[in-house]
Amino acid sequence: MRGLSEDTRVFVLCTMLALGALWPGFAAATEKASVAGVSQGLTCQCGCGLTVANCNHPTCSFSVPVREEIEKMIAQGKSGPEIIAFYRHKYGEKVLSAPTTEGFNILAWLMPFLAVALGAAFVVYTASRWRSRSTQAGSPRPEALPGPVDADLLRRLESEVRERS
Amino acid sequence: MADLGRLSLLIAFVLAIYSIGANLIGARHGRGDFLSSARHALWAMCAMLTLAAAALWVGLLNSDFSLEYVAAYSSTTLPIPYKITALWGGQQGSLLFWTWLLSIFTSVAAFQNRRRNPEITPYAMAVLAGVAVFFLGMLNFVTRPFDLISPVPAEGTDLNPLLQNYWMAVHPPSLYAGYVSSTVPFAFGAAALITGRLDDSWIRSTRRWAIFSWFFLTLGNMFGARWAYEVLGWGGYWAWDPVENAAFMPWLVMTAYLHSVMIQERKDMLKVWNLALIGLAFALTIFGTFITRSGVISSVHSFTQSGLGPYFLSFLIFVVVAYTGLLIFRAPQLRSPAEFESYLSREAAFLFNNLVLVGIAFAVFWGTIFPVLSEAVRGVKITVGPPFFNRVNGPLALALMFLMGVGPLIAWRRTTPENLARSFGAPVLAGIACGLAAYGMGVHSWYVLASISVSAFVLGTIAVEFRRGVVARRHMVGEPPARALVNLVAKNNRRYGGYIIHIGVVVAFLGIVASSFFKLEVKKAVRPGDTFNVGSYQLRYLGVVPTDTPHLESAVANIQVSRDGREIARMAPAKLFYKREQQPATRVAIRSTPLADLYVVLAGLDENGGQATFEVFLTPLVFWLWAGGLLMVVGTVVVMWPNVRERAAIAEALGKAATREPIGEPAPGGE
Repeated sequence: MRGLSEDTRVFVLCTMLALGALWPGFAAATEKASVAGVSQGLTCQCGCGLTVANCNHPTCSFSVPVREEIEKMIAQGKSGPEIIAFYRHKYGEKVLSAPTTEGFNILAWLMPFLAVALGAAFVVYTASRWRSRSTQAGSPRPEALPGPVDADLLRRLESEVRERS
Repeated sequence: MADLGRLSLLIAFVLAIYSIGANLIGARHGRGDFLSSARHALWAMCAMLTLAAAALWVGLLNSDFSLEYVAAYSSTTLPIPYKITALWGGQQGSLLFWTWLLSIFTSVAAFQNRRRNPEITPYAMAVLAGVAVFFLGMLNFVTRPFDLISPVPAEGTDLNPLLQNYWMAVHPPSLYAGYVSSTVPFAFGAAALITGRLDDSWIRSTRRWAIFSWFFLTLGNMFGARWAYEVLGWGGYWAWDPVENAAFMPWLVMTAYLHSVMIQERKDMLKVWNLALIGLAFALTIFGTFITRSGVISSVHSFTQSGLGPYFLSFLIFVVVAYTGLLIFRAPQLRSPAEFESYLSREAAFLFNNLVLVGIAFAVFWGTIFPVLSEAVRGVKITVGPPFFNRVNGPLALALMFLMGVGPLIAWRRTTPENLARSFGAPVLAGIACGLAAYGMGVHSWYVLASISVSAFVLGTIAVEFRRGVVARRHMVGEPPARALVNLVAKNNRRYGGYIIHIGVVVAFLGIVASSFFKLEVKKAVRPGDTFNVGSYQLRYLGVVPTDTPHLESAVANIQVSRDGREIARMAPAKLFYKREQQPATRVAIRSTPLADLYVVLAGLDENGGQATFEVFLTPLVFWLWAGGLLMVVGTVVVMWPNVRERAAIAEALGKAATREPIGEPAPGGE
């Protein structure tokens, strides 16, 4: 990174942070299974639009028995992804509460981070243009470098002292 | 009542159209009499809408089932407080409520600006009246709240049981107030674009409106989360439902706007960006309404099959296209002499803060509409729920928290590495120490450790900032520490109120992280007298007490809660049955402490009252989510507190604008 300009370094850093954030997102699927955790991964089919964990219908014909089934499967030693795969096989993709990481659905996961990376590129590009314009316009004013207390606060304090005296 | 309501809405519609014309004619031809008349028309529109809302309330309170709306959303046995809240419990009533709020805010803005901003105010009022025309058009011709039903039913269908909760008295009004009040800064932004008066006077004169909107969006989201927590019975407070997302997105964009306007005020930069953000915030409020009322995306909040979708979509497209067109048209005039020296500056921190806030808003938007895209492209209907939003937004939220710590301590223009080390040394050490301590205490999730470290870092930077201010006051004014602290906040309320809001955000963030990662869930079927353990609590089921009222039947369980063998509380979760709707529901019991909430749901009950099944959640630190919300509210009140110095600055800025070319306004005192 030593040979790169500051603008490029900032952009590369932002992109790495944005794309690096994907890793824990995908890795999170390996956590220990719990009824609440697994049922968050499934969408209730009663029409409420919520997950099996969040469905608030006390007598729901889908979420109530599915939660009981999940409890039994966890007791039998099945992992979260295994239980989710079981329901996907049984009901199809519509039962999942998050897009898969296959085909068109990858777009769902990538777009937010790509958007942030593109945004970062735009910010860095714009800032570098402003910087070169500032440099051409002349050297910076010396009062800009702050001490421990913000210059604005100091100005206010000074005027307050003047008002009092 | 129905005739009075219908007539009021029709007159309000005509007045709104008249106000647009009178404002435009008055502004173009410098006719003060037209402007004055347009203003009076807006106030009269507000009076008409007040009358219409009152008419519907009278109908609800008198159980006048000849009105279709009253028959659909109330009953004779519905308690009076819920008859009042039923105004926003259904499609037509909530639209009426929305429009009524819009007319109130428009009237206040018209009054505030009757002698200010003479160049842009008429156009802003025309935009506000234009938005009112759309909503009044809907109320008069598409979804009418005063339609009659024949034959008149003897009894109403009743309000949805989920809405029969005290949080529903405050959640929708707060959210609507937040949504609707964002129209005022949007209208002034649009007016600035129309007139070409593109200095920051429109921002200064609507900043309080933007903060007001943000304040109510914060309250609305918090109240909604609390409602979900207490009513829905799944132990959580946020489900990333499309309508929740629709309320969250304008909050994010408004937050970005409130930060970026500081750069414009200070450095005269980001004019296009600020105008774009306020336009986006308003468009997102309409998008939220479109989602709620169109049925395009299934949601627990949806008003089913309302058929309003195409109207809202058309309005949304019109707003976006017209506003973007104006922005492009004025782009050459919006170029500013931007100064940027270093990425180690507050400007840079604010730019990246805006990037992340808008990035999160985009992620939420993308996740919300992706099911529609998937169905259009692949023909497969999928759901995008909490796992997606948590994984995508989790890292972005961490980045945002980090920037929240960096922004306040870094100087405008540039900071030297020495100052950077001096400012951030202690907060960074605090962050590392807290992370290590948490690891030593057995926390091994990378996200939780990072959250704890970043939160400690942010709180550290805020503490440094308060300490510096207090030390400076003590040194220069000679005040004792406590008084210096109070005066520091009082005399710099905008800045230190902002820090209080930041503390609230950190506290709420920690509450969210802890309650999401460490929630304990126990499900148990027990008989009266049985005891079971949840964490360090022992719960003993003592039995169930049935009750019966004309409105609902309930079975209330009695649970003795002990800790270390000592009784500490009695809890009473219940199963309810609403007779009118023939609908069962649950009432959870919550014992809240700063360390953890014990949350008990009566999930099942034998017909003969023997065995009961309980779902119990032990949720750590969720208390701090609400405490953080409260701190955000307190901070916002501090920010909005009238400040003589700020008023003088606004008056000065507006005075400069007003001296350019006044157009036929009545002289002060002339009204």
